[in-house]
Amino acid sequence: MTKLDLEKLLGDDGADPGCDAAGELMDAYCDALANGESISPRFDEFVRHMRNCVACREDTEGLLAILQQQENPGPR
Amino acid sequence: MTTATLDLESAQWLRDLTADETARGGATERLHSLLLRVSRAEASRRSATARQVRAEEIDDLCTQAANDALMAVLAKLGTYRGAARFTTWACKFAIFETSVRLRRHAWRDKNVEPDETIWNRIPDTRPQPLHRIENEQLVQALHRAIDERLTERQRSIFQSAAIDEVPIDVLAERLGTSRNAIYKTLHDARAKLRLALIDAGHGDELP
Repeated sequence: MTKLDLEKLLGDDGADPGCDAAGELMDAYCDALANGESISPRFDEFVRHMRNCVACREDTEGLLAILQQQENPGPR
Repeated sequence: MTTATLDLESAQWLRDLTADETARGGATERLHSLLLRVSRAEASRRSATARQVRAEEIDDLCTQAANDALMAVLAKLGTYRGAARFTTWACKFAIFETSVRLRRHAWRDKNVEPDETIWNRIPDTRPQPLHRIENEQLVQALHRAIDERLTERQRSIFQSAAIDEVPIDVLAERLGTSRNAIYKTLHDARAKLRLALIDAGHGDELP
């Protein structure tokens, strides 16, 4: 529990590209995930940023939700 | 990357959006319609955040978000490289414009000034992220590190973003800067605190 709370406060230690650079990769990451592709190592820092940044993580979740809706639009 | 390497639909979007006025107008309308749907879907998904916002305000917010997203997409069209489908790339702007507006709207009447007494209340009424930290020595070391190692700006942003969980978009608006700049300050503060905790002998307890 302690480590989880500390991670929330201090983030994941390691290379983090920041919000702008992560935002550049967000669409490619979401497309790859939506297409069921394996996530390449080029997204490692992006994924770390998602762990560290609530705003970018929520935005990525939003984009993934949209892609999921587009794939499964449900009854009209 | 040229349009020849894009999927057919993305290539068509690019052709239409860069075509003569008639074709471009139609494509721009379709794009705006898509971005508005995305914005409304995102607002609906975030209904917990948007709970205090009236329905007409939400609709107005989504329209503004879609308008600004459209402007951003058109302005950055030349930077689209086809790493993702065109619609995914474009929807990203609608998500961003919507989420920033919703966060700022939800916090518009709230004070985000750091509370200087926060550390004096520990451990009796620890804020949520701290209340499970059992190791009192670790908390005290963190307290000292925040007081002694961080600049005033780093301390203020760390307290607001990491402890009080103020969205960084809200901080960016209040401080007249960008999400990226706030995040960078937070990231630097976290790195300093990690080092301070290692110096204080708590390296093994770090995640």
